Amino acid sequence: MSRAPEKPNDSPATRPGLRDFFYDRMGMSVAAGLAAKKKVPIHRSTPFYFLGGMALFLFVIQIVSGVLLSLYYKPSPDQAFESVQAFMTEVDFGWLIRSVHSWAANLLIGILFLHLLTAYMMRAYRRPRELTWATGILLLALFMAFGFSGYLLPWNQLAFFATRVGTALVGVLPVVGQDLLLLARGGENVTGDTLSRFYALHVAILPLLTLAMLGFHLFLVQHHGMSVPDREALRLGGSERLPTMPFVPDFLLRDAVGWYLVLGILAALAALFPWELGEKAAPFSSAPEGIKPEWYFLFMFQALKQLPGHILGIEGELLGVLFFGCAGLVIFLIPVLDRGQISRLVLNILAALAVVFFIVMTAWGYFDKGSLRLILGASLFLGVLSLAISFSDRGTLVRRILWMLTALATLLLIIGISQELYQ
Amino acid sequence: MEGSCDKSDKCPRRSWLVRVLVGMNLVAIGSLLYPITRFLRPRRGTRHGTLNVVAPFRVDQLRPDADGEWPAPFEFAGKPCVLVRTSDGEIKAFNAICTHTDCTVKCRPEEGDIFCSCHGGVYDLNGQNVSGPPPRPLEAYKVILRGKPGREEIIVSRT
Repeated sequence: MSRAPEKPNDSPATRPGLRDFFYDRMGMSVAAGLAAKKKVPIHRSTPFYFLGGMALFLFVIQIVSGVLLSLYYKPSPDQAFESVQAFMTEVDFGWLIRSVHSWAANLLIGILFLHLLTAYMMRAYRRPRELTWATGILLLALFMAFGFSGYLLPWNQLAFFATRVGTALVGVLPVVGQDLLLLARGGENVTGDTLSRFYALHVAILPLLTLAMLGFHLFLVQHHGMSVPDREALRLGGSERLPTMPFVPDFLLRDAVGWYLVLGILAALAALFPWELGEKAAPFSSAPEGIKPEWYFLFMFQALKQLPGHILGIEGELLGVLFFGCAGLVIFLIPVLDRGQISRLVLNILAALAVVFFIVMTAWGYFDKGSLRLILGASLFLGVLSLAISFSDRGTLVRRILWMLTALATLLLIIGISQELYQ
Repeated sequence: MEGSCDKSDKCPRRSWLVRVLVGMNLVAIGSLLYPITRFLRPRRGTRHGTLNVVAPFRVDQLRPDADGEWPAPFEFAGKPCVLVRTSDGEIKAFNAICTHTDCTVKCRPEEGDIFCSCHGGVYDLNGQNVSGPPPRPLEAYKVILRGKPGREEIIVSRT
């Protein structure tokens, strides 16, 4: 085998030192070349590029804290609750690590929702990024499955009954429902076998799928570069003429600010509001009052509660489940459904309705008190409206409607707060 | 501006800023690693355990059974504890973990020794290593007898 002549600059002999040793042998010049080439466009919506990085950072936190928890956790109905209780009280910082894991899971889902919403508003799913969108939706589904399976692991009353209710939904599907239910629960009821299945799902199956999917998602993001919203490209005279900043170090350092922000919020939440453990699951007792899923499943839970037993001769719950299934499919297929002005208008109206539905149902299900529901709902609306306004054009009808809605939401917020204060 | 300040050693102010940035990140990473390393330390109960234990058999039960087997080691502070009776009738307690490679030893009443079947290590009934690979004698515990003579309870203690 003949050796290719080496450039004097790159030959190991002329590059001494430990850093250069690895630089030469790990093909770092390729990575360095990619990093040097990667540019991030600068425009009004650039801050929304941080959301993906924040979610990634939270995922890393979940891996680390999850691995730590698995050192003490014992997945069996006799020991699960006791082992969690024991490491929360006996192990140094056990309460903190568990609290961080639970809070980070909720923050992660919240940030993913925002990531989804802003990606939709930027229309980042346009050709050639259809697969980036699709893998993103699948990742959201995987993380919601993480949340659902992880919820059961402490084996407390709330988790036990939430899992019974949640898995029962699968059972209403025609033909395959019963088989899917058996597959999910590992039996007819939620038992120790369910706990084992959920544990395997949570610590082995989902992480593998997520890592593969995430790798694909990140590869696509790297491959296609950042998507620029049409409006910004138009405003600045074509996406090629947009000012850019290098990814390393400019954007990376800004990303790091986002991570520290997330870390600060997470640390404050975990330390000030440690996650409750509740009571140990008693499978044959009556369900305690106030059974609720995690907030990101609440909109489905609350909506299904409102459905009557039968609608037009079909079981109400079945209709509800099929409705949410279809909604998920529509979100997944948005890149294909967006085919022009009219379809875009229909999609935008549907998206607005979906957001309204989500906020109303979540606020309704979260609190029992009218004024608190009003405060939560109006605050969420204000948040979404401020996002939407930043994506609408000045002087258009849409912008005016959004401002009117903002005024309305502010009014509702004030009413809610004053009701809460003076009653 | 750019270009003239590429090398940090030519720009003391910039290199100072970089050093502050790196230092602050190291502090942040350290404050994350601190609770994690503390979390990894085994909990107190499994590290130290109890100081005394009452053996699951009395003095008169400390003899070979019908098959000639000596009473098996029992748990004391998370470790196996073996009780033996020396030739002059004294009862002794040892940590049954072999000092060679952490196997659990057993008392052989007929041979009058303590034997580790993993690598053939032999200790005498005082816990001294006599032959085979063990490098040190077995860790000895204090034995206290309490109750009716001949039927006393055996209390093993680490104090």
